[in-house]
Amino acid sequence: MIEISSLSKSYGRHKAVDQISFEVARGEIVGFLGPNGAGKSTTLRMLTGFLPPTSGAGRIAGKDIFRESLEVRKDIGYMPENVPLYTDMRVREYLRFRGALRGLAGGSLRKRLGEVMEICGLTSVRRKMIKTLSKGYRQRVGLADALIHDPDLLILDEPTNGLDPNQIRAIRELIQNLGEKHTILLSTHILSEVEMTCNKVVIIDGGKIKAADTPENLVNSMRRAGRVSIELKAHKNEVEPLIAQFDEVTRVVGESMSNGWNRFTVFAAPKTDTRLKLGQLAQEHHWPIRSLSRKSGTLEEVFVELTRKD
Amino acid sequence: MRIFRILFLKELRAYFLSPFGWLILAFAALMQGLILTATLKNFSDQAQPESLVFLNFNSPFFWFYFIFLFPVLTMRLFSEETRSGTLEGLLTAPVRTWQVVLSKYGAAYTTFALLWIPALIHFLLFTSLTDIPPPFTWAEVGGAMTGIALMGLLFTALGCLASALTSSQIIAGVVCVGLLLVHFLLGLIPSQYTSQLDAAPFFDFLSSQNHMQDLARGLIDTRPIAYHLSTTAFVLLVTYHLLDFRRWKP
Repeated sequence: MIEISSLSKSYGRHKAVDQISFEVARGEIVGFLGPNGAGKSTTLRMLTGFLPPTSGAGRIAGKDIFRESLEVRKDIGYMPENVPLYTDMRVREYLRFRGALRGLAGGSLRKRLGEVMEICGLTSVRRKMIKTLSKGYRQRVGLADALIHDPDLLILDEPTNGLDPNQIRAIRELIQNLGEKHTILLSTHILSEVEMTCNKVVIIDGGKIKAADTPENLVNSMRRAGRVSIELKAHKNEVEPLIAQFDEVTRVVGESMSNGWNRFTVFAAPKTDTRLKLGQLAQEHHWPIRSLSRKSGTLEEVFVELTRKD
Repeated sequence: MRIFRILFLKELRAYFLSPFGWLILAFAALMQGLILTATLKNFSDQAQPESLVFLNFNSPFFWFYFIFLFPVLTMRLFSEETRSGTLEGLLTAPVRTWQVVLSKYGAAYTTFALLWIPALIHFLLFTSLTDIPPPFTWAEVGGAMTGIALMGLLFTALGCLASALTSSQIIAGVVCVGLLLVHFLLGLIPSQYTSQLDAAPFFDFLSSQNHMQDLARGLIDTRPIAYHLSTTAFVLLVTYHLLDFRRWKP
């Protein structure tokens, strides 16, 4: 659906997006993550034809985003950051105008208006002026606007920005439902949201792609992912060399606790699980165990690990 | 053409489904009434060498409010879209930039044209309500309206240009007034010289006052028509490129 190859955008000397390449297959929900100013919005603006790329190329459904911009725009439903709307129009009037711009007319426009207002929960406010609506409703109007022509690809720039938890949940469910029929590329920095909705994650920082994979793979391949901690009643000097002899273990750190207990932190390679071996080891030597746990990484930790400046 | 019509109607609705367009219309009608009253007062005081239409559209009052119509009509058009970010939504829909420029320009110009209905009604009323022979001919009215239509083309385009330059409505309005004042004052330069100025024909060619004096006598010349149409096309082209600038390959 989306193919981007070495796409760049410079503002004068500042490189906002630097040679990024990634692909989004039809039917995927892709989360586009990155800290503020990482180049997320710039990339999305290039995809939607609002900004031209400085170099590189992108194709959406096989059409070039710069040369066939008008054709590309027909396939995309785009919700820009902060959801700009004509605030002195009424909800239905606005959606009607946007639908007409997308080539809908007459009965099909009326039918589609009813559908998107139903999907986005706007039926009760359809006669209200947009400027009187709360942020959550405006966000829904923006989403309805992006959906009005039933596009193959939805590009949403921070769709849940500034919403309260209930509204975030509602929008998330909406996106999950839409994902059954549409390809979705959404930018956000709310990570729990990505873990719940997206089946692929692209992390960008400083204009460069840091990672692109499924959330599970990202979490498992984290540097800290294989770390296991075990609490034993045994001598440190006795235990440490025995644990260190396992192949995947890189380092063991023991620390004393009260009443003869010791806690050992076992650093191991990512994607490994040493818990079973440690358990057996303790059994063989009859060491009492009080806790054995493997640190399961979160997407937030992946994000911090990849984008931290130090 | 379909897209253009949708955009044009949306812009026109923005004028007339809010108090905005009606306020301008009321202001224009008020000023036209005041000026007509003042001109008629002149007629009742002493004999006038020119027609009612000529004096009506060549009084300083006329120019004063005429120039201020354009910033009010146009300053919102592009600057408001840039400020609120709706330009992004508009230009990522399958519309061409020229459709956006021409629809906004067209709606502003249509609104401007509607402002002259009260003036026409004034002259109609004069002939139908009084039994004195009217101190003007309909050819003069037609000429004056042609002048207003021509100046409207150029001045509305200049207003669009000013609005596309900035994201602040106020600055757009000030720039528009500035451009129109400079254009108007250029035409007054020859009158500042007691001796014949070599460049006088050039300034006379630009002068809105000169155009209006000829046209309000019913004298329709092709030069001002060519002048206004060509400059309008040029200014709209610049506006188009200002708006399309972000799509240029850097």
